[in-house]
Amino acid sequence: MDNLQKFVSQVRGRLVVILLINNLLLFVDWWVIEHLIGASTGKLIITLTVITVLSLTLLPWLSTKVITQPTKMIWQAILHIAPDAANVPAPNLKQHSIGRELVANLVSHVYQLASVVDTVEKTAARAHADLKTDFIANSLPLPLIVLDKNQNILFANKAMLDYVKLSASDAVGQSVYSVLDMSFGNEHTLDAWLVQAKANRPVDTKTWERVRLNLPNNQPVRQFDLAAYYNRSNPEGFETLLVFFDHTDSYSQDDQALSFVALAVHELRTPITLLRGYLEALEEDMQGSLTPETADFIHKMKVSAQSLTAFINNMLNVARIENDQLVLQLREDTWPNIVRTAIDDLSLRARVLDVEISANIAPDLPTVGVDRVSMYEVLLNLLDNAIKYSAKSPNKEVLISATVNAEGLVETTVQDAGVGIPAGILPNLFEKFYRSHRSKAQIGGTGLGLYLSKAIVEAHGGHIWVRSKEGIGSTFGFTIVPYAKLADEKKNGDNNDINRGVHGWIKNHSLYSR
Amino acid sequence: MNPAQQPNTDTAPTTRRKVLVIEDEHFISELYVRALTRAGYEVVPEVDGQKGLELAKTDQFDIILLDLMIPTITGIEVLRHLRGPGSTPLKAKIVITTNLEQRDEIRADIESQADAYLVKAEITPRELVEFLNTIK
Repeated sequence: MDNLQKFVSQVRGRLVVILLINNLLLFVDWWVIEHLIGASTGKLIITLTVITVLSLTLLPWLSTKVITQPTKMIWQAILHIAPDAANVPAPNLKQHSIGRELVANLVSHVYQLASVVDTVEKTAARAHADLKTDFIANSLPLPLIVLDKNQNILFANKAMLDYVKLSASDAVGQSVYSVLDMSFGNEHTLDAWLVQAKANRPVDTKTWERVRLNLPNNQPVRQFDLAAYYNRSNPEGFETLLVFFDHTDSYSQDDQALSFVALAVHELRTPITLLRGYLEALEEDMQGSLTPETADFIHKMKVSAQSLTAFINNMLNVARIENDQLVLQLREDTWPNIVRTAIDDLSLRARVLDVEISANIAPDLPTVGVDRVSMYEVLLNLLDNAIKYSAKSPNKEVLISATVNAEGLVETTVQDAGVGIPAGILPNLFEKFYRSHRSKAQIGGTGLGLYLSKAIVEAHGGHIWVRSKEGIGSTFGFTIVPYAKLADEKKNGDNNDINRGVHGWIKNHSLYSR
Repeated sequence: MNPAQQPNTDTAPTTRRKVLVIEDEHFISELYVRALTRAGYEVVPEVDGQKGLELAKTDQFDIILLDLMIPTITGIEVLRHLRGPGSTPLKAKIVITTNLEQRDEIRADIESQADAYLVKAEITPRELVEFLNTIK
């Protein structure tokens, strides 16, 4: 308030100066009257007129200049910043030569005051906005957290804190990885994605399904889908937003459904392990003393035990498909290697049934993008069928071929000269548990193999088909996409994941980055 | 003895590799011990998870075969103690042998900590030995 006091005392001083000038003029007036008495009346009148005019002009001018105008200017400044007087222009300080500095000072004080008021108003608006955000974030029934550039937690809403049973002070400021023990089931983790996003993109989004969250003190595992939004240049340093969609109940129901199958699988596998093990031991111990017939019996038992193992795997995979839990991970692979492995693994069975498998694989096949384990199962199923049906036929030859077809896809066919399939049932062949009446009577199996094969091939982006003629034999074929083509698809898509499959059951159908 | 008549050293290594078989299914254990001994391995069978863990920590084994469903503590817990955060590194390779089936992500977690993961029903004892011979 120094400036204001200065201003007041200066105005007081100026009033005194004006009064003094006034007194001086009165004194001059008196002096002129005293000394010019007797002079000509004309001279007296002129002199008095001059003095009167002087006091009537000089004094108002002076008081306007040094008192009224500065005050008016301050008033104008106040009006200028007042919210309901928007048309008042800002005062022009240059107009004033007398006491300009002081006036400028005072005016600037007014403006400072205004800016304080303004800030207070803005802060209030801001606090209001924060309140709104807080309200939305905390009343949202979805757990969410915000991370800074070091993956430390900046904010966790109420739902999040409830979800992980933590207080804000335990979570905020901590690394997300130390607060949340999440397993993603493969290498496509949150961490891995953030590393990629930070290196390549200013803004990115990603979702994961069936993420598991392990909580301390043996609390039950949480299962959820996770959505993430990354923005490198958020002004508040809010770099990553994570939203959790809890599915613990439904996912663990799936788990339970699967765990029944898993239990059955375990119970079946143990005796099979023993059967296979003791048969092998028996064969070793009796080596040399076996009659050809006994050796043949042992051989057949071994093959039967092996096909039981394969059946159990099929059963397990069907359960997985139906529970949306079969996850394919496509990698670049050499197709002839997979085909030869399947042939080798079935050679024992083929030999027992006296069937001959021959292969015709084009030498220049491109690499393919496949989930090796699943595709191996497709081959195993088709070859096993071909062997089974050929065994009943006089011509016991199975031919497996792989070529590039007209569409540039790798086409694999398995051809047998077996009993063949009646035309009427061909369309239903790939349905679950479907088998022709004739084959049901004569040949064992569950009817799961083709259903599984179709699901797996289609999930790979391929197509499976059959051609058959009764008494002549059948040819099953399927296509798979060359790796280069899949990689293109990945590059052009706006999403990292390639999701396919008629059943919609492919989860994170992702191509591994090279 | 004529040098040509000596046993084939390919199948009988001069220093016998030592295997700890943690397996509670008696018959499976019997089969594995038989096949491994015949192939020249020194074998220590153990049915209990906790005792198996203590044995493993003595670091005298080249290979540990670890079943997952075993008494006292599970194979997953044994694995976590041997390979989890804060564990002391052992020279042994850990091979999971199980007939259990689990969700892919759990299996992936186990596989990332162990050196190999085998389904017992899918291999015979002889195939297991052939596989272990390739592990160095």
